[in-house]
Amino acid sequence: MFYRMPEIEYLRVSGLEEALQILSRKEDTKVLAGGTDLVVDMKVGRYKPKVVLDITGVKELRFILDEGDRIRIGALTRIQEIVESSIVRRKIPVLAEALSELGSWQIRNMATIGGNLCNASPAADSAPPLLVHEAKARLTSLEGFRSIPLTEFFLGPRKTVMRATELLYEVEIPYDEDFAKGYSYLKIGRRNSFTLSVVSSATVLKTSDGRFNEVRLALNSVAPTPVRARSVESFLKGKEIRGGIIEEAAELVVNDISPISDVRASAGYRRHVSKVLVKEVLTKALTRLKEAGGD
Amino acid sequence: MSTPFEDPQTLINKWLESREFLVVGKGVVRIDSLSKALGKARFTEDYLTSDVLFIKQVISSEPHALIKRVDHSSATGVSGFQGVFTASDIPGINQVGYALPDQPLLAEGKVRYVGEVVALVAAADYDKALKIAEDVKVSYEPLPCILDPLEAMERTDLLIHEELGSNIAFRTKVRKGDVVEGFSKSDVIIENEYRTHHQDHVYLETEAALAIPDLEGRMTVIGGIQYPHLARDITAKVLGVPSSYVKVVVPYVGGGFGGKDDEGPLAAAKAALVAHLTGRPAFILYSRDESILIHPKREAAIIRYRSGADDEGRLQAVDVTIIHDSGAYANRSPFILWRATMHASGPYEVPNAKVDGYAVYTNKVYEGSFRAFGNASIQFAVERQMDQLAEKLGVDPIELRLKNILEPGKHTMTGQLLDHSVGVGDAVRRLVEASEWRRKREEYRKFNEVSDRFKRGIGIGVAWHGISTSRGVPDWSNSYIKVEKDGSVAVFTGITEIGQGSPTSSHVQIVCEVLGVLPEHVKVVFGGTDAPDSGATHASRGTSIGGIGVLVAATKLRERLASLAASMLGVEPGEVIIRDEKARVRSDPTRYVTWGDLIKEAISRGVELSATGYFFLPKGKFDDLLGQGFAYPAYSYITIVSEVEVDTWTGHVRVFKVWPALAAGKIINPQQVEGQVEGAVVQGMGYVLMEQLIFDSKGRILNPDLTDYVIPSIRDVPEIAKPIYVEDLFKYGPFGAKGVGEMALIPMPATLANAVANALGVNITTLPLTPENVLKTLGKVG
Repeated sequence: MFYRMPEIEYLRVSGLEEALQILSRKEDTKVLAGGTDLVVDMKVGRYKPKVVLDITGVKELRFILDEGDRIRIGALTRIQEIVESSIVRRKIPVLAEALSELGSWQIRNMATIGGNLCNASPAADSAPPLLVHEAKARLTSLEGFRSIPLTEFFLGPRKTVMRATELLYEVEIPYDEDFAKGYSYLKIGRRNSFTLSVVSSATVLKTSDGRFNEVRLALNSVAPTPVRARSVESFLKGKEIRGGIIEEAAELVVNDISPISDVRASAGYRRHVSKVLVKEVLTKALTRLKEAGGD
Repeated sequence: MSTPFEDPQTLINKWLESREFLVVGKGVVRIDSLSKALGKARFTEDYLTSDVLFIKQVISSEPHALIKRVDHSSATGVSGFQGVFTASDIPGINQVGYALPDQPLLAEGKVRYVGEVVALVAAADYDKALKIAEDVKVSYEPLPCILDPLEAMERTDLLIHEELGSNIAFRTKVRKGDVVEGFSKSDVIIENEYRTHHQDHVYLETEAALAIPDLEGRMTVIGGIQYPHLARDITAKVLGVPSSYVKVVVPYVGGGFGGKDDEGPLAAAKAALVAHLTGRPAFILYSRDESILIHPKREAAIIRYRSGADDEGRLQAVDVTIIHDSGAYANRSPFILWRATMHASGPYEVPNAKVDGYAVYTNKVYEGSFRAFGNASIQFAVERQMDQLAEKLGVDPIELRLKNILEPGKHTMTGQLLDHSVGVGDAVRRLVEASEWRRKREEYRKFNEVSDRFKRGIGIGVAWHGISTSRGVPDWSNSYIKVEKDGSVAVFTGITEIGQGSPTSSHVQIVCEVLGVLPEHVKVVFGGTDAPDSGATHASRGTSIGGIGVLVAATKLRERLASLAASMLGVEPGEVIIRDEKARVRSDPTRYVTWGDLIKEAISRGVELSATGYFFLPKGKFDDLLGQGFAYPAYSYITIVSEVEVDTWTGHVRVFKVWPALAAGKIINPQQVEGQVEGAVVQGMGYVLMEQLIFDSKGRILNPDLTDYVIPSIRDVPEIAKPIYVEDLFKYGPFGAKGVGEMALIPMPATLANAVANALGVNITTLPLTPENVLKTLGKVG
């Protein structure tokens, strides 16, 4: 009751087709998937849409499917459902690890994976693990489907490539057995739970013959969008796994990020702890891979 | 029948000598726990009626500006609109300054901080009130603003309160001996400048008040308030009516911590003003951002501290300058500064002292009451100094402290003889054993030699906190008790229930102990102005000072009823014991009268079954010119040892164990005291490690929300050992109890900073110890 919600036209649908129809017709529409970001943002005046389209009842967008070489997660799947999914925990554990630190249990039961991605916060917890898995965002509109690699999905803070007529249908995550062994997500927040990240980082990696075969690394809160740390990745590719190599690689992360100073931390602190965090996630992923009997 | 002797001090003394107890000292479950767990306990908002008007505050967007015009023409057409009220609508006096007459309820002529309330909007529903408030246009003529207290002190060309001719709102001083001589006798001298920051109270329930006109022929205000009688007086002054025509009721309150001592009465006055002007019930409830922007904060302090000790480790002199950033209004900062000044030596004997305090106006949110009341910042400085003196002398920090610690028979820095109730030395000694201080100090030193990334430390903070108001400021306790015909007991106190539980636990225990009745037959009616003025529920006084009146009233009844029972049983009054609702003969417990029969007999014989318990605390004088004299009737003491691990890569400080020891007289309810200690430890830890208000160049708070004003979650809470209690009885307290509520917060900055300094081997002078600030201290981040 404390904040004045903008006067909106509120529409609630239960089917995807109906939702797409409305999106094709109505201008200035915000989609309500879980509401944990949107409602707060409307209260504080960040968004003042004319129309709010409530798709929380669209059941066909709420699924987790294991198709062997890929996992498909419907856009309206609740965060907590993903955290608890045995498929995700087994095949994309870095995603479960990251999402278990999103908000509080109450929020995870309301918030959706689609909402977290489409809101396009630079601090989105779901982005780094999906970026390292080279997941695709599958978008739908009345014209049909198109798939966008998540690395191309975010344009800036709260901006994505999605058109006003589109909805996120699902994310497709390629399954890779090695990445389910060599993975890690770590978050630096301002307290131990229920906190926005100051910086967080996800990695998946493979090794062979004592060398880094493939390393993928992503961070959030250090650039206008969640980013892949390509300098670190390419530096490590093919390098021998030896003492000091991770430390060397971690220093390079500053080339991949462009943090700002805000009320949560200074740019200088973010740059410093990005290096620490990269070192940490890589070490932890490597340890896990070894323990799982990887190379 | 002759009237028994009813002198309060005699009665207090008599019960102070009790050695066996029925319920005192036991973990009796508070009577409100179940209704709170079930969600049945009612808070201010739960008393809303359908005809209420909603109030929204229009707050200043400028830190310092003249108000040219308040335009609300756009509001007049809105249905349900009831009015926009400004200073000119106040029928009484628009002056709510607590210590100094410098503060309007609604801004008059100019605004002095971003968040100052300019107007109140009233409408029949909340959304309309919000919309109208958005559309009220306030035209300002901006003035230059001053945010830095050091700059504000120096300047006279730019004044926040022109009438004072200075930006220094208040000064304090202590002088003892000769510090020049003291430093000349010192073999080691340590000098530092310390800085501490603001803290918001973040009570779960924000400020709220519901004013109902004409109920009982007077204005009734239900609100989240810590001192109902103060709220009543301020409200009456604003309305221009006699105090007796305002009634304040304080239901359950979702946390106070001092914040509702300051803002509670103002919320009450705002609601009452609208109710008075419209003739309708009016309700005000602060949103979280309003709460953070508007209400006063813990002092942000700059403390320059120089102290010296001889090579034996005896303190020779302290020279201290305390500067409080008071913000836009003085409010209680003179009293907060007083307390800081009186405690500037820490709980140590020092022969030579010079302390100067300054409360300085700036164009920021103003300073107010907060658990520890000026004392957490000064004890931080004191205890950092002690650690550094010890280091320079090459002795253990505990040894140095014990060498100088206050004991009965010693004199405080203000020259006051401590004649009793000084358990701090015992508390420190017992805590050092319990926490295995010496072993761990060594263990962590060795750990740090081999550990590169993680560094461990153990630190101590020792603190004292004067009981009652500073110096000779009058303080009293008052309560009224009556026994009903059926033998049940009604207790009336102005002490409020703000989560601490004094009226719902210790007051009940005091009555049950004295009258021998069962807890379920005692009703404590708390927090209202229809009770005698019992003083505020602040300064750790709800049980200690607030409980004296309850004890005195109950003991008066006990004397009368014991005499009556004695005559019924044919024995001397001293032979009567009352327990389990039976008055028995001590030497022959099979002979008794029941409580019910005793009360019937009292009614038939004309024994008065009501009593007022009033006690005025004896105090001495403090000489402001000399800076010497009486400061407090006694002190509560606490010491906390904490163990930390610092991640030198990220700067994160993890507190893994906290050990408290408390010397607060009789512990009436150990379960409640443990809760208070744990809560204060966590609130203090949050303050030291993560909480901070971020101000922009206009003094605006950039994080007035719980997304970016970060307080601890349950997962941040360290292991807290069972408190050690040293029961150093206080001669005026009920059963010898002293205050507890604030205590554990006071040494938290000290103990954590000392532990971090011990871990890292660096000096810590500035709070908070956020990861970023820790890395700055280590030179790892610019």
